[in-house]
Amino acid sequence: MSTAQACVAQKRLKQPKNLSPRIEWLRRYYLEGAARRWNNEFTAWTTGTPWDEVFDETTFYIVPETYPFFQTFRSSFRQAARKVDLHPDFWTWSIAERRAWFVKEVMVNRLPQEILPGDLLCGARFNIQTSLCLDERETKRRNRLMFGKSGVRRAVKWFHDHGYGNSGATSGHLIPGYERILKEGFKAVHDDLEARLQALDPREHNGEKGAQLRAMKIASTMPRELASRYAELCERTAAGEPDPVRKAELEQMGRNLRRVPWEPAGTFWEAVQALWLTHMLVMSDENYPGPGVSFGRIDQYLLPYWRASIEQGMDREFGKEILKCFWVHANTAYDAMVRIGNNGITAGYGQLITLSGMGQGGRDMTNELTFAILEVIDEMSPILEPKPNVRLHRNSPDELLDKVVEMIASSQGSPFLLNFDERSMAGMMVEARKAGVTHLIHEGNVHEYAPVGCLENTMVGNDRSGTVDNNLNLLKAVELALNDGRDFFDFVDPITLEKEKARQDGPRTGDPRTFRTWEQFWDAYAEQTRYIIRRCVDLYERSEAVRAEFCPTPYVSCLVKGCAEKALDITRGGAELNFTTLEAVTFATTVDSLLAVKYLVYDRKECTMDDLIQALKSNWEGYEALRPKARYKAPKYGRDDDEADAMADRVMELWCEETWKHGTVSTKRRFRPGMLSWNYWVSDGFILPASPDGRAKGTFLSNAICPSNGADINGPTANANSVGKALGGLCPDGSGDYLGYYNRLPNGASHTISFNPSILKDPEHKEKFKAFLRGYAHNGGTCLQVNMIDADTLRDAQEHPEDYRSLLVRITGYNAYFTSVGRELQDELIARLSHEAL
Amino acid sequence: MPMRNVTTTGTSAAGNSTQGLILRIQRMSTEDGPGIRSTVFFKGCPLACRWCHNPESISSKVQVHWVASRCIGCLECVRTCRSHALSPSAGGMVIDRDRCTGCLACTEACPSTALEAYGVRYRLDDLVNEVLKDRVYFERSSGGVTLSGGEPTLQPEFALALLAKLKAEGVHTALDTCGQASWEVLSRLLPFTDIVLFDLKEMDPDRHKAFTGVTNSLILENAQRVASSLRKNGRPSKMWVRTPLIPGHTARTDNVTELGSFIRRNLSGAVGRWDLCTFNNLCLHKYQGLGIDWPLGGVELMGRAEADAMLEAARGSGVDPGIVRLSGPLRLETGRDAPERPRAALGVVQGGKR
Repeated sequence: MSTAQACVAQKRLKQPKNLSPRIEWLRRYYLEGAARRWNNEFTAWTTGTPWDEVFDETTFYIVPETYPFFQTFRSSFRQAARKVDLHPDFWTWSIAERRAWFVKEVMVNRLPQEILPGDLLCGARFNIQTSLCLDERETKRRNRLMFGKSGVRRAVKWFHDHGYGNSGATSGHLIPGYERILKEGFKAVHDDLEARLQALDPREHNGEKGAQLRAMKIASTMPRELASRYAELCERTAAGEPDPVRKAELEQMGRNLRRVPWEPAGTFWEAVQALWLTHMLVMSDENYPGPGVSFGRIDQYLLPYWRASIEQGMDREFGKEILKCFWVHANTAYDAMVRIGNNGITAGYGQLITLSGMGQGGRDMTNELTFAILEVIDEMSPILEPKPNVRLHRNSPDELLDKVVEMIASSQGSPFLLNFDERSMAGMMVEARKAGVTHLIHEGNVHEYAPVGCLENTMVGNDRSGTVDNNLNLLKAVELALNDGRDFFDFVDPITLEKEKARQDGPRTGDPRTFRTWEQFWDAYAEQTRYIIRRCVDLYERSEAVRAEFCPTPYVSCLVKGCAEKALDITRGGAELNFTTLEAVTFATTVDSLLAVKYLVYDRKECTMDDLIQALKSNWEGYEALRPKARYKAPKYGRDDDEADAMADRVMELWCEETWKHGTVSTKRRFRPGMLSWNYWVSDGFILPASPDGRAKGTFLSNAICPSNGADINGPTANANSVGKALGGLCPDGSGDYLGYYNRLPNGASHTISFNPSILKDPEHKEKFKAFLRGYAHNGGTCLQVNMIDADTLRDAQEHPEDYRSLLVRITGYNAYFTSVGRELQDELIARLSHEAL
Repeated sequence: MPMRNVTTTGTSAAGNSTQGLILRIQRMSTEDGPGIRSTVFFKGCPLACRWCHNPESISSKVQVHWVASRCIGCLECVRTCRSHALSPSAGGMVIDRDRCTGCLACTEACPSTALEAYGVRYRLDDLVNEVLKDRVYFERSSGGVTLSGGEPTLQPEFALALLAKLKAEGVHTALDTCGQASWEVLSRLLPFTDIVLFDLKEMDPDRHKAFTGVTNSLILENAQRVASSLRKNGRPSKMWVRTPLIPGHTARTDNVTELGSFIRRNLSGAVGRWDLCTFNNLCLHKYQGLGIDWPLGGVELMGRAEADAMLEAARGSGVDPGIVRLSGPLRLETGRDAPERPRAALGVVQGGKR
């Protein structure tokens, strides 16, 4: 899953180009959506027991928009579910074995297999909602834990309603060990499991370990059996195919599927086929269509197959054609709820691919496949999936940056995210040290990292880091510090109008009106920060424990190193690298609020603490002179102002250090820090009260690690420098966490900067923009989304000038703040930008 | 943060060797010389060009201006002003410039920064520290720091100290000058200047005087001296000439042709680039904020055809056509017959709402 910005679709409509009739047809057909003859929408499957549960809401606890629909989803999936005749021994098996068998039965024997005209890859339907496969006793226990009076669902809702944020054990969001499947095939996975099973002593064999390995063994045969169904279909279709070219293709597809993904891949076509089938079954196994199930460095692990096939005479364009089919398949994840829109999850599923980046010893790994894939993206876009993230570093070649900048220019906004290696890897090294896993992440392999979803850095094939599982509003601690540990207001449920009096939820840190120094206020804030983190950790434990007990994913476990070795499902902490990420939301709003308290109450004595509290409680009404002081005169993070950025650093250190102290009890996952924010910074702005930085309730919070809206008045370089400093900055002697860089956030942080399209107006300016990216690699953060200002933005600025005070327009050597140039000239600027966009 | 000596009154900045009166620092400037630059706009200018798009840079005093869109109408400023220079009116805040002493008590008092100072006194070290924050971007782009204005040579000691310090730090420097300065000052700055952005606006001396307040004799003389100094020191092409094309003023093909001849005859070998910059009108609100009636307020932007004629005149004037560039906004011409427009006359937008 992704930040709303990081993965937002582009407004301006770039057109696809250079598509063959085959790809053009597939693309158009895909866009017909629900009007297609068949599609990949969810089908639901039940054991047929009266108590059966088909929908697991745990994975949606981080999507508050879906809370009101849980009951509907739960009942409608159950009602729509088709019954599967069970194996006679089904109820004698462990939950993991039942689940492995059930998912495989549905995928291989129940769901139809289909091939679209011209398609070069098989693997069509995979969105399923399957029975949790629980018996009556298990269901009762699970439902009590989930839906009881003190169940997880209520606790999740309370946490969100009161402005803390959200938390839940979430599916997806990892990079499975796809490379191993290409190299060794599922056969090797299966044989390894068999050997491990044989090696268990009889007690273990009959216990949980044996059950887990047997479940995984069942799952490891699912791809072979499904591939053979598709192979039969290819062969049947080929037999009736009059066109000799298409016939040959179908025959070859059949031969491919007779080999992969059971056997190692030999050709590029086989490798991509194996990759797709292996990947789509992850989504089937988790009943979770796509979010964050990421591919890692495909231009690296597909390269040997690409080179081999090119050498054997594969036409380069045909290789791209195979990739384009892969692109179309990835988009069918969106079919999950094709009839009702985007299924309430997100408009950006984030099946992320990673391109380029550093190799051993700082070597650049850009290769001919990197460029072929960039061409595919360029020719296919706008298209939503898979999402690309291009890794840059100090030795990235000019040729790559040229292509990147060219694509940003032609898309009027970046068609990919840019990840920055040195800063990212410094964070991974911190993670290794903090969690004591330096044998798994070290200088010799840290370059193998790749981002998940959008920008969440993890290792590959042995890592589940729960990158979106906890989203905590740091600002909540400011509210609590200002009110001695209590919410500002009683809570009123917006639907039931039920009222809940504000209680002493947080620790008593004292009435701030009695604080004589700023440091006293800071101490209260720090104490409340520790409290909200503990609260989040406690909440997460509850959904994590339920998932661990009832919702195994044995197929995913086959693809993650550590699960077979420990004979432990990934949902129980089987992965070698076993983290869950606390994503801090509202960072800049929090920093700016603390800066404002210090500036207004202590440094400048513009008001008393009581005045400030009253102003916040009245949502600034009646405090019209105080609010602009808070908004415009108090210092702000994001301007490369060392004093203000020092506050950012202090806030960052506090919450990160606290986060590292925690772990889950049920699954022994360590908490690690990150900054993503997805769309919460928009919606939670309606829950959290007014903040001391001058923000009113009902307006946006800050996004991820970005400065607050409109605060970055010193431009992109200052903005980037502040972000780099907040992450820890650089080490003067070149040591630091990695290659001279510090980084407190192993997960990484989402950063967006908006530019005017004219920054790319000619070759000279493109060179300057390339240099900016190289400078960003040195001074900036872990990941950058480049946005281009468009006419809509200027129109919005015209209507809401207070939100756009830093919006600078520049005409060859001349700057003006857009909001101050007067209506007529604004209109002209808008017309100009709209016109040039055409 | 720079030391902001906000209580300083509006004294002349020239001759002050320890502090400079700076209008603002523009970071990530992509239009003031090669690469990514930080441009330091000096306050104070010996010229008063009718079309000046930075009118707030002309005066060598700290000035106050009022931004309507920010004002919340609390009138704290009016109550604070001891000189009674501020009076609200139906058309907005009226600032009596004769009474205003530049004490900036009003900008301090204003809660919403609707009243702002034009001009901040910087100590040299603070200014250097500020611009060096972008050193890595300079290095990656072969950019650096540009001294612009206003006119940097009006604060010669400060400009010299700044350039020398930047050179000592290994930073690429550019001097953007109108040329109306003593050769003594210019010649001292040149050794610390990597590239000179030199404005040549008008060849006709009478028109030059009418448009800018001074004739062009010293400017043309300095241009030749700069060029010969650069040539002598083996730094060819390190002079970039800039010409504003102002409709009804400098935007005449005969002017452009003559400028070109002058460049060819007197500056050859030294000039690496000749920028023709079209008129822009975005500064109207600044004149309004300063209480100045701008005679060019109603002038339209240049049309494509006219701009092309200027470009052709420049390229045909005998200079190497490859050095001539046209930049700046043009009149928006939509409709079928409109010639194809250059993309993106609108420049960098920084910050903004995400």
